[in-house]
Amino acid sequence: MGGFLAGVVGACAEAWQEVRIHKGRVLLSLIGVAVAVCALSGAVAMSAIAQQATIEQADSAGGRAATLTMSMQPSDSTATGRQQATQAWFDVLDRYEISYASRVFWGSSRVQFPDSVQEAGMTVVDQPYGEMHRTRMVEGSWFQPGDSARLAPVVVINTPFWESLGSPDLATHPTVTIDGLGGAKAVIIGVYGTSSWDTWPSMFMLTGHFESLLDPVQAAGSMPQYEMWVPPDLARELQTRIQAELSGAVGAQGFVSVDRSDWGAQMDDPTTILRVITMVIGGIILLLGALSLVNIALVTVRQRIREIGIRRSFGATSGRVFFAVMMESVVATVVAGIVGVILAVLLVQSPMVSELVSFGGISDVPPFPASAAVFGLVVATVVGALAGLIPAIIAVRVKVIDAIRY
Amino acid sequence: MSLIELTAVTRTVLIPDADPLTILDGVSLRVEPGERVSIVGRSGSGKSTLLNLLGMLDLPTTGELSFEGESVPAMKPGRRDRVRGSNVGFIFQQFNLLDGRTALENVTMPLLYARGPRFWGRERIAADILDRVGLGHRLSALPGSLSGGEQQRVAIARALVRQPKLILADEPTGALDVETGQSVMTLLDEIVREENAALVTITHDPAIAARSDRHFRLDRGVLTVAEGAARNAGRADEPVTDGPVADDAVAVL
Repeated sequence: MGGFLAGVVGACAEAWQEVRIHKGRVLLSLIGVAVAVCALSGAVAMSAIAQQATIEQADSAGGRAATLTMSMQPSDSTATGRQQATQAWFDVLDRYEISYASRVFWGSSRVQFPDSVQEAGMTVVDQPYGEMHRTRMVEGSWFQPGDSARLAPVVVINTPFWESLGSPDLATHPTVTIDGLGGAKAVIIGVYGTSSWDTWPSMFMLTGHFESLLDPVQAAGSMPQYEMWVPPDLARELQTRIQAELSGAVGAQGFVSVDRSDWGAQMDDPTTILRVITMVIGGIILLLGALSLVNIALVTVRQRIREIGIRRSFGATSGRVFFAVMMESVVATVVAGIVGVILAVLLVQSPMVSELVSFGGISDVPPFPASAAVFGLVVATVVGALAGLIPAIIAVRVKVIDAIRY
Repeated sequence: MSLIELTAVTRTVLIPDADPLTILDGVSLRVEPGERVSIVGRSGSGKSTLLNLLGMLDLPTTGELSFEGESVPAMKPGRRDRVRGSNVGFIFQQFNLLDGRTALENVTMPLLYARGPRFWGRERIAADILDRVGLGHRLSALPGSLSGGEQQRVAIARALVRQPKLILADEPTGALDVETGQSVMTLLDEIVREENAALVTITHDPAIAARSDRHFRLDRGVLTVAEGAARNAGRADEPVTDGPVADDAVAVL
């Protein structure tokens, strides 16, 4: 055991001495491998951020996993029929203790902007919608549970809407006049972020306020979409049960359709392609780094034949020479790997890169994934060992007698 | 028991499109612990091949080679390397110090292959022996900044740092001027005597050969006793002896 420890420590000491003496060569190897590891770790980390951004965008559109979306049309299409159907849905929510649920109406309405009246998007929701769709706020806040009790309607607008109003300070309780709802004045309580390509002014309003402002005849004309955020492992069972229970409530002529709308309902992870592409690119970069490392190591080992011969004559076994040459490569690449990972962390954590990769920002910015750092170091070590293999084999095959005369 | 013994050793090498070349022919030699032996011979006479065999770097084509009674060809390669590392120290004509390493690192190198206290205390041991060869003040010097004599003293320290039983010196003064060569050999003799190690010196120089207890001559692969080495000291051009063949040499040892 003591002999083995001395062997390992001795080989590491030899390798470190070699690395120290051939600084120039090692530095060249380091740069290649460090860049490669930086690229690979960075790609893995950026993939995680991009994955998070993609999920958040998917959540924004279809809800978080698992979101059940229900369309319902009762046989009785009068206001009473609609109310009965909606009440049946509330009963379902109570029965299954589903606390995150929202009715959703999509539409548009004319809004008074400082310079003109424009059509603006309007999504009418219940308060839990913001959490269910991971709505990212940039100013103010999303609706609070008691907001529907307010007498004056409140709205949450998107960034283009806010900018069109001249980006007013929300602390001053700015209002907007919604011509499409009888000229109602709504208080702006929050601004949510949108993708950079989304330039159409849009807003959210609570269902309670919307229904109180809407003409009863208009209100009777359409049914909302109903969304429920449920545990993914119960989604399928709940989907079947809710479908069955509400089918009875809407009557023989009505219909109910319950489906999953979140990205998790898709067969494939939407980030798979992105992840595969980044891994392939990182792999190619690493391969190039490894090839340059092998190249330099091969040239070096040929220059060191005499030294290897001298070491052999003083008792270095072929196994020891093999291990020492291999260790030189591993020591160099591990150092390079650490440098590469640090560079990748600095790069990925910079706000500019994070912004770029997440296509305009995300609400839950993931930290630099530990898996990416570990992956980078493991890959660097493996590459070092593989790159050291060929020179190590050459070193072992050196004929001592010829080498000391080299 | 002899330290190292060669019995009727032949070493031949295969040459493409030609008959095998015999480098050593029926060489028999026995070296006892603490003994000093010199072997002289012209270039191409097989001196280095003989040294490689004595140092267990090479194996005989035929004949017997044993170290402390154990057959060297029968040893596994790893064991042979370890036996060599523990028991044999080499001193080369061109010093063969490792470039870019300090004197201390060069002398520490053989101890990297040792175990136990010698491994863990390698720097102290190396510094001590460098001090013994008069280079205690040049521990951090690189080979390029040392004179030829100093480099050879570092090489001597390196050869002795594991306290080997056998020192093999291949033309140890070949790259030095006469005065420096004599001074280096005096130092080598002293330390070898103190360590009670056997010293086999291969040289062209009869004056260096004359320092040994026994003298041999190698001519075209045949080893003979050189009776007149001391007499011929300083006359390198002349044949050292017409002595008996190697088998007879064994008989008189």
